[in-house]
Amino acid sequence: MLRCRQVAEQASDYLEQHQTWPQRLAWKLHLFMCVNCRRFIKQLKLTCDMCVDKKSPEASDKEIDAVMTKINQ
Amino acid sequence: MTSVLAPVPATDIAVGSASARAAQNRAAEASFLTQLQAGDQQAFSDLVRKYHAQLQIVARAIIGPSLAEEVVQEAWVSVYKAIHKFEGRSSLKTWLYTIVSNGAKTRLRKESRQVRFRDDEEQQSYLSGERFASDGHWSSPPANWDMDTPEQLLQEEQLQACIEKTLLLLPPQQKAAFTLRDIEQQSLGDICNILDTSNSNIRVLLHRARLKLMQVVDRYRETGEC
Repeated sequence: MLRCRQVAEQASDYLEQHQTWPQRLAWKLHLFMCVNCRRFIKQLKLTCDMCVDKKSPEASDKEIDAVMTKINQ
Repeated sequence: MTSVLAPVPATDIAVGSASARAAQNRAAEASFLTQLQAGDQQAFSDLVRKYHAQLQIVARAIIGPSLAEEVVQEAWVSVYKAIHKFEGRSSLKTWLYTIVSNGAKTRLRKESRQVRFRDDEEQQSYLSGERFASDGHWSSPPANWDMDTPEQLLQEEQLQACIEKTLLLLPPQQKAAFTLRDIEQQSLGDICNILDTSNSNIRVLLHRARLKLMQVVDRYRETGEC
């Protein structure tokens, strides 16, 4: 029997679909019954989705100059 | 007979504009690559401006912070020398990651040292303590968030600042796993190759990073602060 603690500890495997089908079935059943775990999974996914396409910081002019100097040596 | 002036269904417009945008992006990328392969130094500077930070994240995860900058600079030299041979079999971004990863791994061997898989935190604070009862079910379940979509979360400037701060403070390997998977959308297989770590380790790193960020959102929702 799947416990909420296991769900919380392995929730990324569920989101990544890195599970066998019997495991996934057990998860689906648990999530069907457990509102707290459904909420946890939803919030974890929301956190991941928020970061999609998050702009990485651009290199500073100093960093670019250092690279270009090395290239042109 | 359908009139040529009949309104186009909204979904067709959306699909049409999305595919037009994708075609435009592909054309812009192809043109940018042509400039790079022609040795255009301004184009190369733009490439460095865009990807230097991500390459540093990858290098730090493999070789540690002290040698990362040097490894990334050497990787840029390799990229500059080899860009004319790039055939587009992978995306340019994946190719850059592979070059810096190979450089960092080679340097690691030369230095004869090991950067251990350092993620031995016993418990993530979000899941520790009194969250669960002895039977393994929630004793302190997650609170309901009043923000239901990524767009709503993104509108909170203060929260975004908290997320940025947390990303900066993540351990290098967690940060690399999270950046490559959740921001750059690389496949788990590619991330294993880039970071030279097993699939199960990547999944552990990823989950820990996600939990920390989720905790930030949770705390912000409760207190309005980081």
